[in-house]
Amino acid sequence: MSSPAGVAATASGEDGARRPGEAQQAVAARPALGSLRRWRPSRAAALALATGLVITAALSLTTLALYDRNESRLLGLRVRELGLVLTAVIPSIQTPLASAAELADTTGGSPEKFRAFMAPYVGPGRAFASASLWPLPSAHPAPTAVVGATPALASLPQQAGQFFDRASRTPLLAVTGVFGSASPHLGFAFRAPGAKRGFAAYAEAPLPAGRRTPVTSGAAFSDLDFALYLGHSRSPANLLATSVRRLPLKGRQASQKVPFGDSALTLVVTPHGSLSGRFFANVPWIIAAVGVLFALAAALMTDRLARRRLQAEQLAGVLDRVATENREMYTEQRSIAQTLQHALLPDVLPEFPGLQVSALYVPATSGIDVGGDWYDVVAAGDQRVLLVIGDVSGHGLRAATTMASLRHATLAYVAQDPRPGTVLSRLSDFVNSGVHDYVATVLCALVEVDAHRLTVASAGHIAPLLLNGDDGAFVEFDADVPIGVTRELQYRESTVSVPPNATLVAFTDGLVERRGEVLDVGLARLRDAAAGQRLVLDHLLAKLAADLASEDHNDDTAIVGIRWQN
Amino acid sequence: MAELDSDRHAELVIDTAVDAAGTRIVTVSGELDISNAPSLEATVVSITAERPERLVFDLSGLRFMDSAGIAVLIGAAAKANVVQLRDPSPIVRRVIELTGLSSVLHIES
Repeated sequence: MSSPAGVAATASGEDGARRPGEAQQAVAARPALGSLRRWRPSRAAALALATGLVITAALSLTTLALYDRNESRLLGLRVRELGLVLTAVIPSIQTPLASAAELADTTGGSPEKFRAFMAPYVGPGRAFASASLWPLPSAHPAPTAVVGATPALASLPQQAGQFFDRASRTPLLAVTGVFGSASPHLGFAFRAPGAKRGFAAYAEAPLPAGRRTPVTSGAAFSDLDFALYLGHSRSPANLLATSVRRLPLKGRQASQKVPFGDSALTLVVTPHGSLSGRFFANVPWIIAAVGVLFALAAALMTDRLARRRLQAEQLAGVLDRVATENREMYTEQRSIAQTLQHALLPDVLPEFPGLQVSALYVPATSGIDVGGDWYDVVAAGDQRVLLVIGDVSGHGLRAATTMASLRHATLAYVAQDPRPGTVLSRLSDFVNSGVHDYVATVLCALVEVDAHRLTVASAGHIAPLLLNGDDGAFVEFDADVPIGVTRELQYRESTVSVPPNATLVAFTDGLVERRGEVLDVGLARLRDAAAGQRLVLDHLLAKLAADLASEDHNDDTAIVGIRWQN
Repeated sequence: MAELDSDRHAELVIDTAVDAAGTRIVTVSGELDISNAPSLEATVVSITAERPERLVFDLSGLRFMDSAGIAVLIGAAAKANVVQLRDPSPIVRRVIELTGLSSVLHIES
């Protein structure tokens, strides 16, 4: 028993001696590791930052898309409004020319009547720069009456031929761009439908110099740049007017086609700035900026939390290791204590004819201290055996050495005179003669094997249990004070007769003492557990120890059993 | 860890006073066992250093006492002429009776 425990203690002792050093190194190394890591964001922080940025990007993009859609919608509305304005202008061109063509048809092409009718429409600040009357059909059309400037078209016979050919076939206002001449104009012709021969009323409006019309600030559509083309395409050749220096228009655009006589006007616009306002234009960027700030803040916060958690975990790890080391050291010391305890108790009880003797020592479930419980069963001559069981107050090495000295003193006194009262009195003298500072409860029971008699004296020790078949009873006597309390005391003896095959169970208080319980309850529990058992003595003691030792008992327990074999 | 936990000290409150007759009264409440008996022992040692004639332990609030606690009371009995136990619980009273200490530790009732 002692040698395996000793080996184990030595082995774990070396282990324990090495480990604390390791732990200290580990603790010392940790802060340096921490400062190195300080510059690297934790994974959680990176994740928080990434999440924050993704959400910000999503929000910003959504807002941007919304803003974009809104801008496009607003621009679409604006270009439609502009289209309506243009549409409203068309009758002011078509109506005078239609009336003039009708007038020419009914007056046989009277130049005077034509000039008189058209004069209010022609001139600077008026609708047209020039108006003229052209007889049709004609292989080489030429005006018969002119109001205002000479028509630019007159100098372009080929274009004039094609144009009037087109004008005579359409019931609508015929429109053409006169771009070939020195000053570009827009030309309109109307010919009354029906008659085979007749007159076309023609008028020209000048296009602005360089086709550029700067937008007047503060005007109705001053927030837009535009380009106006004749026809359905955006060909630079057909440009009528624009507000920008350089075409084509760039950026967000919207276009609108306005039917214009037998042709059309194509209007393309682009906004100068934001149509829905500067604030709304900036909203996506505000969201992005605020979002990035939030993401950074969240990442920093997460990083701090993660770092604290890491530190806590590291600390917990250190504490855990320390706890493990403590546990190991504790187990080791406990094993040393138990080894010592066993060394102080008798290895093997002697055998006696007519008696079975057994003993059991149950160490406390907790605590590393050595208990002060002890027992002995020794021959006392003349078919007699003396049982001694005792419990020194306290724990630890002092209690153990006290126990050892008491045990050996008792053995010496038994050799002189085995009467229990005498043994206890001498023990009391022995203890009180020195400078001892402890008390001990001791029970001495003198067993007369053949006579079936038992003589008991107790120095404050609990009475033993006497088992007889199904009956169990504690031996009755008056307990005297424990050893070490007072001097010069006579310990009283009580003698009882023992039935055949009876069993005596002596024990220390660890077996019956429970917190919050009157001692009698524990005694009754022991009696009930032991009475009626038909077990071999060794097994009976083991069963009592197993049944009665509570999980948290922190007192050692010794049990000694003696059974008469007849 | 469970082993370490069960080593914790039991709850114990010690209070000392002197009554009108000049008797030292030590009030011990809670649970007195091997884990905290040394603190009561320290109190007792400081009081018995004055060799008092009479020492009273008020045990009305004491729920449990093991042999280590009894040893402290016995130690006090060795140094004071009269040691009395006031209102011990049945648990404590029974321990005193069973250990034959009634002659040394007088139970007041």
